[in-house]
Amino acid sequence: MSSPTWDEFADLALKRITASGAEYGDIRIQDSSTEHIEGEDRRIASIRDIKDVGFGVRVLYHGAWGFAASSVLSLEEVPRVANLAIEIARGSASVALEKVRLVSEPVHRDRVVTPYRIDPFTIPLEKKTDLLLNTMETLHRQSGIARSSASLWAHRDRKLFVSTEGSHLESDLLAGQGDCTATALHEGRFASRSFNTPYLRKGYELIEETDLLREASRVAAQAIEKVKAPVVDAGQYDLVLDPEHLSLTIHESCGHPSELDRALGYEANYAGTSFLTPEKLGNFRYGSQHVNLVADNTESETLAATGYDDDGVQCQQWDVVRNGVFVGYCTNREVASKIGESRSRGSNRADGWSHVPMVRIANIGLEPGSATVDQLIADVKHGIYIEGHGSYSIDQRRYNFQFGGDAFWLIENGRRTHMLRDVIYHGITPEFWNSCDGVADRTARRRYGFITCGKGQPGQSGWMTHAASPARFRQIHVIRGEGSA
Amino acid sequence: MTVPSGTWPKLTSSEEFRFLSDLVLTRSSADQTIVRLRDHHAGTTRFANNQVIQNVDARRGSLAVTVAFGGQQGTASTTDFTAGAIQDALARAERIARVSPVDPEYLPPPDPCLFPVRATAKPETLAAGPVKRLEYANEAIGHCRMENLMAAGVVASSGTAVGIAASNGLFGYEVRGDARFSLTVQTGDATGWSAAAHRSIDHLKVQERTLAAIAKAKRGRDVCEMPAGQYPVILEPAAVAGLWAWVLWSLDAKSYTKGTSPFAGKLGQAIVDERLTLKNHPDHADLLGEGFTHDGLPSTASLWIDHGVLKQLAYDRFTAKADGINPIPTLEAPALSIAGAPAQSIQDLIKNTDRAILVTNFWYIRPVNPQDLTLTGMTRDGTFLIEKGEIVSAVKNFRFHESPIRAFRHITAWTTPMEAVNSETGKMLVPALALPHFRFSSVTRF
Repeated sequence: MSSPTWDEFADLALKRITASGAEYGDIRIQDSSTEHIEGEDRRIASIRDIKDVGFGVRVLYHGAWGFAASSVLSLEEVPRVANLAIEIARGSASVALEKVRLVSEPVHRDRVVTPYRIDPFTIPLEKKTDLLLNTMETLHRQSGIARSSASLWAHRDRKLFVSTEGSHLESDLLAGQGDCTATALHEGRFASRSFNTPYLRKGYELIEETDLLREASRVAAQAIEKVKAPVVDAGQYDLVLDPEHLSLTIHESCGHPSELDRALGYEANYAGTSFLTPEKLGNFRYGSQHVNLVADNTESETLAATGYDDDGVQCQQWDVVRNGVFVGYCTNREVASKIGESRSRGSNRADGWSHVPMVRIANIGLEPGSATVDQLIADVKHGIYIEGHGSYSIDQRRYNFQFGGDAFWLIENGRRTHMLRDVIYHGITPEFWNSCDGVADRTARRRYGFITCGKGQPGQSGWMTHAASPARFRQIHVIRGEGSA
Repeated sequence: MTVPSGTWPKLTSSEEFRFLSDLVLTRSSADQTIVRLRDHHAGTTRFANNQVIQNVDARRGSLAVTVAFGGQQGTASTTDFTAGAIQDALARAERIARVSPVDPEYLPPPDPCLFPVRATAKPETLAAGPVKRLEYANEAIGHCRMENLMAAGVVASSGTAVGIAASNGLFGYEVRGDARFSLTVQTGDATGWSAAAHRSIDHLKVQERTLAAIAKAKRGRDVCEMPAGQYPVILEPAAVAGLWAWVLWSLDAKSYTKGTSPFAGKLGQAIVDERLTLKNHPDHADLLGEGFTHDGLPSTASLWIDHGVLKQLAYDRFTAKADGINPIPTLEAPALSIAGAPAQSIQDLIKNTDRAILVTNFWYIRPVNPQDLTLTGMTRDGTFLIEKGEIVSAVKNFRFHESPIRAFRHITAWTTPMEAVNSETGKMLVPALALPHFRFSSVTRF
């Protein structure tokens, strides 16, 4: 006897939900594959091939949610889990004060597939491990490099979403990434420098289009320069931030505060709330007129461009900040109506079958301006150019932040000069974005993805991409990243 | 609700794991094979704005197969426990291993041994389902509603069957229960917080912790802004645990050997106040001790910092072998203690303080400088000014810029160790501490 199809399993669950009297229900069946190859100090430290299959059933009963999930996909388990989700929803309903109301969404029947040229799972492992070993050897070719690492990551999700409203969505999505890091030692000090391809929804062409060995040679040399560089003097500096660095700044100081569930208090016990409270929508000056932050879950190759979210809502593009004014939230079907919106922005995502979806940061990017990067730097007398990610921390309402970076160059009289080390800057989010007086043009736009954005209890890892061109910020407070600051 | 816990599927038993692992071990063509089980059944009731917003239950079983031919190794895992899927995982692991480069650090599985049997599985936790979790959530919400306050939090319980079996006869199996409660109480801009984690769901002390969070929130209503700078502080246990977690994570022996550790060259030297001692205490009833590690090593009681002196590093098996370390100490149940006479309570610490900042908890602690372990983070959910033995006001939250290695060099007063857990660290036993100097580098808006 052939095993049942995913559609048959879905039908089994949805029939139970409909019969229970619940107003809404859905099932997500997911089959995920991950290949992660990690190199450390000239050796391949681990190769993991992970298969993760399971399903989750979500039920809205009398205005309250229940969710149950299982890794056992069988004719016995699917009805059990559906019944459990119904019973949990009934329990939630028994104590509900305010009933959940979902905003409407057209019924969709679709299939979404990541376009790719080379399936990363078909590339021989030897080719990948050779690349990583050669990359680490290249890192160590620089005298003074004490440690190295390099890795390749590929992920595929095959998913079926079916709802009691009639939506039927299949997806087959790929993502990949590669990186390397050199750690230099000098006079008892150590410093690291990294290169990362962005996390993108592409095939292995993402790696083949990258000259990992050339990047390794560059970051090894810069790690040496960094560990020998002078410590920054604390004070006020103009900052020119590169796209990779800005991706994290955008993520923490714009992405999270624009999640409506946070603004409404849903995350108060863990990730926190948001200073962008609903009465600020449409009138709060978040940044200068140069600051235009756009959420775009339709841009191809980006992580949140999944076609549809886990509410079955089609991915969209919308403004979060327009000409410096806060104008839009990331929402789902549950919270959209609480600010009077009639349709969800389609930003409800779970990190797998075993977790319930919640509002997630969209692909929020900084819109390009009109300057060239050289022009941005040319107009700085005393500043710092920052690349990549370093230390990062922000308060639970997303006001007070502090960032480091991966590499820093002093800018003097309009010229990028030598490297610095231990640069840390801090500020208050709206003051920082209001100090932005220039964004480079589209030719310098780059995209960087995140796959470890923590939120929710139990914790989930969100995926999204943040694009930016380099941008300039005036008179930012810089301190030394050591204890004596 | 009508779901009796007895109808729930059972965790994979020891006998079932032996059967599943034998499916792999008897078919493996590799020189060495290891099978690891993690069968996790968990439920969480999450509430905010005084009502349940999320009520979930999930069951995830996973088997991971690691094989090695000489020093070539590979790992494959599956969530499907059918014979075909398990054999496929073995075949995938073998395929990887055959083409992998030789790992010079590869070591065969540890020799079989009798793992310590610990009380990791409390029946009350394993039996707890959505009904019990909802009961606790309602208790917390009810107290807050009565005071016209807003509650947000979670009640979570789980049971996990964990197993390891290897081709050399190594076999370990253990069921680990875990129960958690945390609550943030809001009133205007003020918040109060409390949290608990325990093997027994009956030890979460929901009422006591709810009242503590309520008291913090109410006390935080009148807030003033203090300038950034260096202050004496009293750190409550959750704040102490938040900083110590980074000390523990930085004890990695390989980094130490390679010179990329903040403790490089300091083994055998005083690194913190000479009265501080850090031990691993896996048999302590209030800690989350385990019988064995992911590598198949027995977890052990061990001494890490003895009267301020660094005595131990966290070893991977390869570095341990190179350094002649046997047995390898583990650190899953850390307990920090201080020699001398403690204050009776946090309240007594406050009474004996002329002026200090009282910190309930830290949030988003991240490394700033791995060289000297300078960290940054925010105070959260109850930060107060103490003057002349009393809390005189709440203060706006600070960002700190400080290294625990410097901050814990001198301690002025302390309590006995207490249970501590927060959202970013595992559970520890730590005292509340009074420190003479702690650097706050900026202030936020609330």
